[in-house]
Amino acid sequence: MFEARGLMVFYENMLALNNVSLSCGEGQIVGVFGANSAGKSTLMYTLAGIMLDIQKKEAMAGGERITIRGALSFLGRDVMQLKPAKRAEAGIVLCPERRRIFPESSVMENLRIGGYLAKPKEATETLDYVMTIFPALVKLENRLGGFLSGGEQQMLAIGRALMAQPRLLLLDEPLLGLSPAIQYWLAKSILDIRNQRGTSIIVAEQYARPIMPIIDYGYILENGSAVVEGTKEELLDNPDVKAAYFGTN
Amino acid sequence: MTEPTQDRRKERVDRGIKVRTDGVYAIASWREMAYLLAPRLTLIIGLLGLPIFLTAFPYWQKVVSIIGIYALLAVSFDFLAHYVGLVSLGGALYIGVGAYTSAYLNTWLGLPPLLAIPMATVLGGIICTLLMWPCLPLRGVYFAIVSLMFPLLAARLIEALDILGGTDGVLGVDGLPNRWLEQYVLLGCLLLLLFGLRRLVNEDIGLVLRGVKDNDQAVKASGINITTFKALAVFIASCLGCLGGATLAHIYMWAGISQFALDFSIIPIAATVVGGGGTLVGPVLGCLILVPISELLRDFGTLRIAVYAVILTAFIVFKSEGLMAYATRKYNQFERWVNI
Repeated sequence: MFEARGLMVFYENMLALNNVSLSCGEGQIVGVFGANSAGKSTLMYTLAGIMLDIQKKEAMAGGERITIRGALSFLGRDVMQLKPAKRAEAGIVLCPERRRIFPESSVMENLRIGGYLAKPKEATETLDYVMTIFPALVKLENRLGGFLSGGEQQMLAIGRALMAQPRLLLLDEPLLGLSPAIQYWLAKSILDIRNQRGTSIIVAEQYARPIMPIIDYGYILENGSAVVEGTKEELLDNPDVKAAYFGTN
Repeated sequence: MTEPTQDRRKERVDRGIKVRTDGVYAIASWREMAYLLAPRLTLIIGLLGLPIFLTAFPYWQKVVSIIGIYALLAVSFDFLAHYVGLVSLGGALYIGVGAYTSAYLNTWLGLPPLLAIPMATVLGGIICTLLMWPCLPLRGVYFAIVSLMFPLLAARLIEALDILGGTDGVLGVDGLPNRWLEQYVLLGCLLLLLFGLRRLVNEDIGLVLRGVKDNDQAVKASGINITTFKALAVFIASCLGCLGGATLAHIYMWAGISQFALDFSIIPIAATVVGGGGTLVGPVLGCLILVPISELLRDFGTLRIAVYAVILTAFIVFKSEGLMAYATRKYNQFERWVNI
């Protein structure tokens, strides 16, 4: 359904992504794990098309020259040159790192902005769904986004991404800065979203422990390369992965 | 821009000396010394030589002084905007305060221009800083609006209350002894201040100022009173502007409300955009381009503003880094195609 082949991204002369290929089948949850600076965010930005935008801005401001190579196909369509907004329209929706919610809009407004592309009926239906999986948001409807706690903000960010009716949801570090209990709870919610709505999901995360149980297939990024890939069981059996991400031998 | 083929990309490589030493210049040969000195000498000789090259054109020689004044303002704008994060649209305030102060020092106290100008620079800097002090906690667009208000307010107050000479201004200000002195005072000060500021922004105090720009809460958390530092930065910037204003008063032998005109606020900003913000030298280059254009277009009257607007828009849209940033990059790095 979604396939990336030979993605390479250079920030000036620094290689941030080195020949990364990954694919995500219909209704699959794919995990991308890696430490800081492994290239997770670069990968997510490239998949969502934000990288094209960053590239243009840097070029205009005379900053770093960003080179992007590779191929992306989504539902049999080449999306490599599509602008981020067009990709969202096609169904690839990014829930960005650090949430990036609109701090001066209320929770309800944030969700409605997310649902801009959706048909009114879909939007109402998805809004109800978001309120069911994240019941905490119901009480906060009129609170400004900036005044939410970290966990609430993350729920809102995922909810906002869902409002855009994704076929493929890209979650960039959804567990960042959350307590372990909430991390597990949120991982379960991600699984619920897939099971109940059939959305394909790619999760980039450095906390492998809560996410690993819910994935169908996973990739380990190291210094911009996908060094290991495999199903959940294969990854859990790999001694290097265990040592690096679970701290056990 | 042509799209490169699939398997090649353009690589930027630092030129020799920077690669080997990475900032600490270990100068090994005359060639490397020349490489480092060439841009600096071009600037110094170019600026100082300008009045001499233009000896045959007295009108354009006069323009050199105007360029110098605008350049001082533009450097002060660049310093405030890109190193302290205060976008000040009130360049005219500095010019006006500097001009009136120097004019009064000259006419009331009878100080000679060469003494009145430096005194007006410091005194004007203090006056401007005190005026700006209440708005220093403001940030971004709020500071910009308030600073834009000041020169307008000053001009209208002088007009309405008929103080400080009213609409006639201060007459009978002494001119500088001769034209050469006038230009070299300006250009010499400009060069000194330019290199001085470049040094300053890399000293500890410059680091704090840049910190204020990036994240003022983090600076506060480090136990630094940011208002004091902002005030200091405004003082430095307004001194630059007041120096320009004071010299202007002695060039025109008059100080009046037209020295609070919007031109003094707008042209330096345009010059900074054209020359490249954050480079300090860029704004000077921008003035060298824009002020002569403005003089050439004088015959067209208000069409001047239209041409300005087009140039400014074109630069912001197509080359927002500015000429100087572009030139620096080309000078320090070369490019080549490499296979991926």
